[in-house]
Order: sequence, then structure tokens, then C-alpha cells
Amino acid sequence: MTTPPLSLYVHLPWCVRKCPYCDFNSYEAGGSLPEDDYIAALLRDLDMEAECARGRIVQSIFVGGGTPSLFSGRAIAALMEGIRVRLAIASDAEVTLEANPGAAEATRFEAYRCAGVNRLSMGVQSFRDPQLRALGRVHSAHDAVRAYAMARSAGFENVNLDLMYALPADGVSGALADLRAAIALGPTHLSWYQLTLEPDTAFHRQPPRDLPEDDVVFAIEETGRELLAQHGYARYEVSAYATPGRQCRHNLNYWQFGDYLGIGAGAHAKLTMPREGRIERRARQRNPRTYMCQAGTPGACTVERVTGPAQRVVEYMMNALRLCEGFEPAVFERRTGVAWAKIEASVDAAVAGGLLEREGARVRPTAVGMRYLNDLVAAFDAVA
Amino acid sequence: MDHIRNFSIIAHIDHGKSTLADRLIEICGGLTQREMESQVLDSMDLERERGITIKAQSVTLEFKADTGRVYQLNIIDTPGHVDFAYEVSRSLAACEGALLVVDAAQGVEAQSVANCHTAVDQGLTVLPVLNKIDLPAADPDRVIQEIEEIIGIDATDAVRVSAKLGTGVRQMLHVLVDRIPPPSGEPDGPLKALIIDSWFDNYLGVVSLVRVVDGSLRVGSKIRVMSTGRDSEVDRVGISTPKKIDREVLQAGEVGWVIAGIKEVDGAPVGDTLTDAGRPAKEPLPGFKRIKPNVFAGMYPIDQVDYEAFREALAKLRLNDSALQYEPETSQSLGFGFRCGFLGMLHMEIVQERLEREYDLNLITTAPTVVYEVLTSAGEVLQVDNPAQLPPVNRIEEIREPIIQADVLVPHQFLGNVMTLCAERRGVQKRMQYLGGQVAIAYEMPLSEMVTDFFDRLKSVTRGYASMDYTFLRHQPARLVKVDILINGDKVDALSLIVHQDNAQRRGRELAERMRQLIPRQMFDVAIQAAVGSNIIARETVKAMRKNVLAKCYGGDVTRKRKLLEKQKEGKKRMKQFGTVEIPQEAFMAVLSIGKDK
Repeated sequence: MTTPPLSLYVHLPWCVRKCPYCDFNSYEAGGSLPEDDYIAALLRDLDMEAECARGRIVQSIFVGGGTPSLFSGRAIAALMEGIRVRLAIASDAEVTLEANPGAAEATRFEAYRCAGVNRLSMGVQSFRDPQLRALGRVHSAHDAVRAYAMARSAGFENVNLDLMYALPADGVSGALADLRAAIALGPTHLSWYQLTLEPDTAFHRQPPRDLPEDDVVFAIEETGRELLAQHGYARYEVSAYATPGRQCRHNLNYWQFGDYLGIGAGAHAKLTMPREGRIERRARQRNPRTYMCQAGTPGACTVERVTGPAQRVVEYMMNALRLCEGFEPAVFERRTGVAWAKIEASVDAAVAGGLLEREGARVRPTAVGMRYLNDLVAAFDAVA
Repeated sequence: MDHIRNFSIIAHIDHGKSTLADRLIEICGGLTQREMESQVLDSMDLERERGITIKAQSVTLEFKADTGRVYQLNIIDTPGHVDFAYEVSRSLAACEGALLVVDAAQGVEAQSVANCHTAVDQGLTVLPVLNKIDLPAADPDRVIQEIEEIIGIDATDAVRVSAKLGTGVRQMLHVLVDRIPPPSGEPDGPLKALIIDSWFDNYLGVVSLVRVVDGSLRVGSKIRVMSTGRDSEVDRVGISTPKKIDREVLQAGEVGWVIAGIKEVDGAPVGDTLTDAGRPAKEPLPGFKRIKPNVFAGMYPIDQVDYEAFREALAKLRLNDSALQYEPETSQSLGFGFRCGFLGMLHMEIVQERLEREYDLNLITTAPTVVYEVLTSAGEVLQVDNPAQLPPVNRIEEIREPIIQADVLVPHQFLGNVMTLCAERRGVQKRMQYLGGQVAIAYEMPLSEMVTDFFDRLKSVTRGYASMDYTFLRHQPARLVKVDILINGDKVDALSLIVHQDNAQRRGRELAERMRQLIPRQMFDVAIQAAVGSNIIARETVKAMRKNVLAKCYGGDVTRKRKLLEKQKEGKKRMKQFGTVEIPQEAFMAVLSIGKDK
């Protein structure tokens, strides 16, 4: 095991309204946000966390939520400044902030840019108002188009749009219309997800009635991917598409089984300890109030040790096989500390089964493997 | 011997047998209050959960009557389910009397009728006892009338008790010692002791519960098991109070336990006779027979790695359960396993549950089947207990199926439902008799139609009021065919079943349909076919799953998503891989649940 690249994730947990499909750790804001107190808590938290990053350079920062764009430009500037004081940040680091494409947020884009954010990720989800309403979104299609324009004029060249398909009452034509609208704006990156009914969400408790059938979803994916490819958006992960050179470096680091610090309510961190031969996962207190009280003290987080090789193999595969390019055996060994020989038979079986393919030094999922990733990952269960 | 009373308690489940036994132990001071654990007689976990007794047990109590005379009471507790009818008859053979405990609100039920008839037939004095007289719904006069009509014994002076409250129990004991005769036998004759039951104890080896009929059983003496002719030395004898108390000797008329260095329960089978090796009895006690299983099913470890562990587990269970039979068997589809024989479905479920729970095995059990007699064109008669072993059609002259008589007792308002159910199961009515509010009906029916879910269905169409008992009659020729199931063109031998020709089409269709519901969608289409010979009678398709992938997975999700995948995997644990298709364990039992609901 060797120390992999390092990222930083910052969680800002508030939203105007909780969306019925969302299973992230988010809370309705209701009144004014405790901006200053929360940023102070994040930096206290980082004081402690920075110990673990000594001597390492942070390659990317991702401010997610929640809706981080509810925070003022001043607050984000204070956060960024605080981070730079405490950590060594690579000069070309990718710094992403998640924004809601509403009218109010758009006015802050310039301030974010000045604070050092160089990539925006906008939760558009759809360009059709009935679908936006069905998803419980607070913005309209028109808002999204305007917000995108403002992001560009604020100087953001690198922008991602989150889009969802298989929405209530969705069909091929509707889903493709969303993709065309997105493509027309010319973002550098598209995250195109199937709406999933996650546990502990309103949709899970009461699913929308008019979700499309499997066959329709399949047709949406086939035609949608073709359209994206035609317009230069290459698929590089299950749900991620990018123009050349614009793959999200922060997310790539997750999928390549890199390390990350995580600060903020409910944030997760992963740290490799090569000398101890283990990986540590830490989770912060989920509740924002509790988090703010305890940030900077050991009580703010729980630690889970990923010690067993079997667990490391499964976690590695869960991530690395999401990437179209797959992984290299040498990287697998460095990241997991597990010898390639331990999993080679499973890899060969999956190759024989048509789920994996080998090209040169790389092992990557086939098109079929990408569709049945859960089955593919299961083949690495209890190996090693 | 005058002061000894050996009796058993006959009762339907829930009519309060165990509570009454507890109360007797309490009154006679068998255990102190602190030792008194509710329902001490049922000791196995499973027995408690299911509310049934599997092994017979005894309790020896001292009852001091109001006259001052002290009696030795031996209560012999019997198993309480139709599957265990032979064990019941042997327990009763050890007694001179029986208490028939009837719920004063619910009235007589068939199970107690059957046991009671056995008791009367074996010459026992039966004392009716009305329990639960404290209940507001108690109707002793109606129930007394029922006992007289249905069982045919005088019940005018039935004792009325509430085992729960203790009311009337002491008085009942006085009636008992007056009316139930003391044992008779020859205290100085050659030893004859009836084996009521045997079980295996990890520390002691085989412990047998016996009733000494003639002679005496003494520590250090040499005894012989009459059916096997094997001799062994008596290490210990004693009684249960229900604490185990050692004695030097068990005298004629007494009931107690004996340990004689026997290694397997098979070496001391239920109903057999123990005698003195040096001075053997001329004849064994009557009524002994080797128990034969009624239903057979294949049991296979899902993971073949568990095969040896499975074999050991079966061997251990068998130490204590001579009714359980097993033989190695190989299935094309399931690999190496065992064909196991059981007394009935309850017995099978108990064994399966114990194997999974106590031995942590993951098993696939195929649909249970009865034993068919097949007359081949060459004139041989084969015993076939596995559909996969049925010879090719052109070599079969005749197939004979086992026929039983089912005795059902049902309140008259449900009679129509029961008759419909029996007709669906190819039953032929033999007798019907109105008894007060109840009707006793007897049907001849193929055992195969009975062993599956007949009892459950009977309960459900009578809202739980019917009860039943059955006995084997004969093998009888029938027009039977084998239905095979093909998955993606390959025959899965473990899914074959033997059905009546007239039902083959319907069963085949239903089974294919049920398989479609049970087999989860996979990465490709799965074709399910039902066939008789080369003739396809039904076809279904499990459409391929389009994908199985998480839409998103980021840093914070890993632990949660890993749990999600683990859950998916947990579901697969009970599935068996056939070529490329995964079939869940329920599918093998689906054969049981078809054709029964409509």
C-alpha cells in the first residue's frame, strides 16, 4: 500500500427545501443560516483533520451539500481562505462548488469565482417544468438557463450540469429533450443519472406512480448516450460524461480509490495508512447543530477501520469498475495492499463471462459489465 | 405395586396438558417453586416454540392422599401430533389409565379422539377432565355430552378443573387413584421392560424411558434388547421428579430411565422390550414395529463444501431421532446430498429447521414425495421415493400410490368446505356421522394429496375448527405421470413431480407460472417449460433484467452502498446456480403450493 492522491470534501448541509428523491444529509434552512458559526466550525474541524494530511498536497476541493450556493460569497471566501491557510493546495487544484440554478444564487457566482472556486456544478435535473415540479425542485427551466449564462459571464469555464432521467411521466422524447437543452448550453461536463428511489426518502416511502418501465428506461439510455457522444460528451463513468480533459478530477479520485478529507455535517473521509496496512473511514456527526458544537473535538467523528483485505477489494471494485477505463493491476495493488494474484482468477472468470475485458495493462468493464456492475462487484466478494 | 398409578394425559394442543402437568408437579412437591419453570415437560427449544412435544418424557410424583396413603404417580407425557401416532401408542401401552383433558369451552377435537380411541382400545381406563372451567365461555354440560357422543365413554362425573388456577386439581388426583387401576405384572418373573422412548444425551449416551412390566431392572445387571439380541450392562437407573434421581432398581410396575452404554437410539428403539440377558423372557411385549417414514425429500447443501458438515449434522440428529432416515443421493441439478425420510411434513420441517439453526447449514429441500410402488414391464416391483428415479414410461406397467384414511372432525357449518377440499384431493368419502354440533367424516385419499398442505388448507377452510388424524391403508394403482421442469432447455431433476394424469396439464401450467414468479430476473431471458415425457405442456419466460447497477456512488456513499450490495448478496445465499441461472430455494418447495389454492 502506498499513499494515494488526496482531495478535500466540504459539506454545507442546508437547502431551501428537501427534494423527495434526495438521500443526502440535508436539512431545510427555515430562516437565516448560521453562516459564520458554521464556517468557524468547519475550520476548527479542519484544524484537527489537517494533522492527517501533513506533507500531502490536496489535488481537488469539492463543496457540496445541501445547497452550498445558499451561502454568501463572503462566507465562501472565508472558507476558502481558511482552507488555504491550513492545507497545502495544488496550484492547479480543481475547486468545485455545487449551486442551485435559481435566480438568487446566480448573483453570487462572481463572488464565488473571486473566492477561488473554478468549477460550478449546477443541479438542473430537468429543463421541463412539470418534471421539475414532480421532483419538488424550487427552480424553473427558465431559471436554469439564466443561471447558466450568469455562471459563464462570471468567468466559469468549467461547469457541470446534473440531469436526471426516468422521471415521472418520462419517455424517450422528453428525456432526450432535456439532454438537447443541456447540450445547447455547452457545459464541459454532464452528470446524467437515472432517478433512483433511495431508502429513507419521500419517494421511497411513496413512489411516484408514473415512473417509466424498464424497457423505456433502457431506450432512453441507449439513445441518450448516442446523442451525448455525437456532441462530444464521452462517457467515463456509469453516469458521468465530459468534453475532452474535463472529467471531474475530484470524483475521479473517489473512483480511483484515492484518499479524501471530509469536513462538515455528515461528511466522510477516507485515509490510507500504509504503515499500519489499513484504511480508515471517518464520518462526521450528521446533525448540523451537534456538528457545530463538537467540531474540532474527537467527539465530532466516528472511525471505521477497513482492515480486512476482502473488504478493501470489494470497496476498490465498487469504485474502480464504475470507470469506463477500469484500472491497472499495479494501481490496484498499491491502493489496496492486496496482491493481484489473489483476485486474478476472479478477473479471468469475469473476462470469460463477458463482464470484463483486458486491454494492454488495463482491466475494464465491458458494455455488459457496466450494465450489471452489481453482479460484477459481487464476483469479487470474499476474494482475498 | 398397589400404590403405583401409571397414566398419560391426552389433550389437544392448547387444551392445557402442560399447565396441568406443571400443577401436578407443584402439588406433589416434585420441584420447589424456584425450580419450577413453566411447562417443564417440553424441554427442547423447538418444542416450546411450536407448542408440541416431540420426545416422550415421564415424571414420577409422590401424592399423599387425604387418607394418608402415599401413591407413586408416573405421568407419561406423549408426543402431540398426527406425525407421531406410533410413539403415542407405545406411550399409552405403558399406562393403565389416561386423563382425557378437554377444554371446557372448545370441546372435543379430533386429535384427542384418535389418541383416546387408541387408549380405550389398549384397555386403559380413561378419566375425562374438563379444563379451563374458569373461562366465561366454558360450557361443561355441552362438552360432557360431546365426550359421550364422540368418544363413547361415560362422562357424567367428569372432573372439573382449572389447571391455570389450580382449582379442582387435588380432587382430581383422588378420583385418579380411586379409578385408575394399579399395574399388574409378575415382580419375580423374567424382566420385561417396554421402551417408551429413547434419546441421545451428549454425556450419558442413549437414555431410555422404560416401563418395567415384569421382573426388575437393577444397576449392574446384564440386559438384552430383544429385537436386536444385543446385550449390555446397566450403568444407571432412576426416575425423574422431573429432576433425575438415581435408584438401585426399578421394580415391576414402575416407570423410569435406564442408561446401559448403548451408543445410538437405534439400539433401543421405541416399543422394543428389554429383558434379562441371563434369564430372558420367552416373548417380547406385543406391538413393537420399526417406524417407517411416510414422506421423502432430497436435502442438498447449497454450497457443496458443506456436504461433510451436513452428513455429520444428520448423523447427530439421527442419534436422537430414529424416525429420521437418510441415504446419500446425487442429483444432476443439486449435486451431492441426501434423500431423507420423515414421518410427515411437521417432522420434516423440524429437521430442516434444526439443521439450519443448530448446524448453520444452508440447504435446499426438494418437494417431499411419498413412496410409490412401480410394477415394471419386466414384472419387478420397485419402491420409488424420488420422481427422478421413475423408470421410463415404456418400462412401467403400473404405478401404485399409497392411500390413507383421513378421519376429520369438523363443526357442521364447515362440512361443505371440507367435502370440497377432500374431493379436490381425490378423496373418496367412506363414512359420515353427526355427533352433536360436529360431524365425523372419513375419507380415503392418496397420501400424496395429504402430505403437502392438506392440514393447513383444512384449518383455513374451517377457520381452524377442524381436526384430523390419518392411517395408512394400502397401495393402489393410479394413472400417474411425471411432470418435468426444464430451465433454459435443461431438465432440473430436483423439480420433477409425480401427479395424477388428469391434473398434469393444470399442475404443469401452475408450476411453470409459479417458477416465473419465484425466479428473479437475471442478465438474460430464462425459459421455463413443463413437460410430460417429450411433450411440452407449459412455457413461461422470466424476462432479462435490463441492468443491475447503482446510478451513483461517491466518497460518502461507500459504506452505505456496500451494505446495499451485501443485502443483495444475502438474498442470493439461498439461491442455487444451475448453469447460468440462479434458482431460489423457495422454487423447490413451490411444487407444494400449486394447485391447492383454487
